[in-house]
Amino acid sequence: MRIELENISKRFGDFHALNEINLSIPSGGLTALLGPSGSGKTTLLRVIAGLENPESGRILFDGEDTTASDVRERRVGFVFQHYALFRHMTVFENVSFGLRVRPREERPSKKEILERVNDLLHLLQLENFSDRYPVQLSGGQRQRVALARALAVEPQVMLLDEPFGALDAKIRLELRRWLRRLHDKINLTTVFVTHDQEEALEVADVIVITNEGRIEQVGTPEQVYEAPANPFVMDFLGHVNLFRGRVHSGLAYLEGIELPAPEHHAAEDVPAVGYVRPHDLVLERKATGSGSIRARVERTQVVGSVARVSLTINGNHETIEAELTRDLFLKLALVKGEIVYVRPRNVRVFADDEI
Amino acid sequence: MLSGFRKQNVLPGFVPTVGYTVFYLSLIVLIPLSALVFKTAGMSFDGFIRTITAPRVMASYKVTFGAAFIAALINAIFGSLTAWVLARYRFPGKRIIDALIDLPFALPTAVVGITLATVYSSNGWLGSFLEPLGIKIAYSPAGIVVAMTVIGMPFVIRTLQPVIEEIEKETEECAACLGANRLQTFHLVIFPMLLPSILTGFALAFARAVGEYGSVIFIAGNMPMVSEITSLLIVTKLEQYDYSGATAIALVMLLASFVLLLAINLLQRWSRRYAEG
Repeated sequence: MRIELENISKRFGDFHALNEINLSIPSGGLTALLGPSGSGKTTLLRVIAGLENPESGRILFDGEDTTASDVRERRVGFVFQHYALFRHMTVFENVSFGLRVRPREERPSKKEILERVNDLLHLLQLENFSDRYPVQLSGGQRQRVALARALAVEPQVMLLDEPFGALDAKIRLELRRWLRRLHDKINLTTVFVTHDQEEALEVADVIVITNEGRIEQVGTPEQVYEAPANPFVMDFLGHVNLFRGRVHSGLAYLEGIELPAPEHHAAEDVPAVGYVRPHDLVLERKATGSGSIRARVERTQVVGSVARVSLTINGNHETIEAELTRDLFLKLALVKGEIVYVRPRNVRVFADDEI
Repeated sequence: MLSGFRKQNVLPGFVPTVGYTVFYLSLIVLIPLSALVFKTAGMSFDGFIRTITAPRVMASYKVTFGAAFIAALINAIFGSLTAWVLARYRFPGKRIIDALIDLPFALPTAVVGITLATVYSSNGWLGSFLEPLGIKIAYSPAGIVVAMTVIGMPFVIRTLQPVIEEIEKETEECAACLGANRLQTFHLVIFPMLLPSILTGFALAFARAVGEYGSVIFIAGNMPMVSEITSLLIVTKLEQYDYSGATAIALVMLLASFVLLLAINLLQRWSRRYAEG
């Protein structure tokens, strides 16, 4: 189901949680709302669910205005960050809850409920836990019970608030891949909130990046990572090095190097900043024309398959960080204190007024 | 022998603390209670049975346990309501009401009894309105229920309040997302979560009411067979120097209270079965 938000605003006292949000969520996709804490992503999710009423704007489900409809009528599956399992009910009772509370004429028979819940428990690999209470389950199992419970009512949309936030790193990794596979199997329009960019980049079809109650960028993981719309997105999606300088008619002059910056062809000598990812810094022993910056190696560190090198430039005033493969690092045999030349690739230049 | 228990214990001081606990319990509870049993043992079995099943004594059990049960029930219902209001809503004067709840804990029970007797007597503030309607509170079994309700009031509220505060907003929101209406959310989700605490509060209020003496004797009228509580009978027997008779009745009270509390505890454990890991 397609979800459209039009001019949604929401305030809590003086705090603008959502500011004129316009967003279209494609049907059948897995969409991530990604942003730092306090950026309004959870509020946005709760507005879609109907748990929060927006002050202005409209919410459309498949073109139909649902702004005024109650959370019970929206048929959304909502998975809370801390699962909110009913602790006095067994797994079976939790999952069947949504079916049992239906009005008598719509309620499936006991046998149908049993069948449907067992199918779901099977799908979520919980068949052996049907008689357990939530307190007897691990974090990952509770998460799956919460999912099963939300799926049992056959929602039109699935909304997940920081679904893996409370789990430890390894389970988190497993569960998000599993969520992706589950989504591919049932193809339900799903929106999940996360503050973990890696999680969003790995799992989602579409990423919506929020900041201070606004949407900064919407795009596929490749789009937002490779072509960030602004410095915030660039900075938020992974580490980044800053090179200060100026742009003038399509050329950027940063830390003594000259780079083409065609998007600034009309700029007339304005201050600008170049953003480069650590893995886009090439380290060389010899300078290559005007494209390299002289730097001093300060610290090296090998973490698994990558090596991180801290360097200082600009007369030891600024620190930058480069990332290279372990093999390359060993071949270069960098020593602390030696001088190398740094050649930035894929530099994204933003003029100061864009920042 | 204790070394088996001590092995996994990281905290120091197992022997002195357990030793102190046993000593303390013996001094305060077990020794006086065993004295009760010994004193009763001086009676013949027939005499014992005759004393504890005398019609006047039987009537007093009925009054005491009956009134205590009704009072605890009232407290369970209205205490739950009060706890809900105090935990969930913000309103002016809330802190004052919150402080008033504990008053029955601190007030001398005789003060409670005298005040209630004055207010509910036929020319008192409330009694003068109730009397023409044929409702007699003071100097009747109803008065006993009123007094027991007052002194048992804080128990349900104070046990329930933190539990209600602890229920996350998410739990209710989740029920709503799954299509439950407010009533279903309450009786399927909220109430079962509160039930163990309500039972605990009920048990405490009930136990307190069974043991109440000070406030009841001022309002009860203390008519034999009608509004005489068992504690008063014990005092009466003591005043007549019938010590063994007094202890015999006391022993019955002790056993009855123990059995009732045990039953309620089992019920409570059953209602909390999901909390066991």
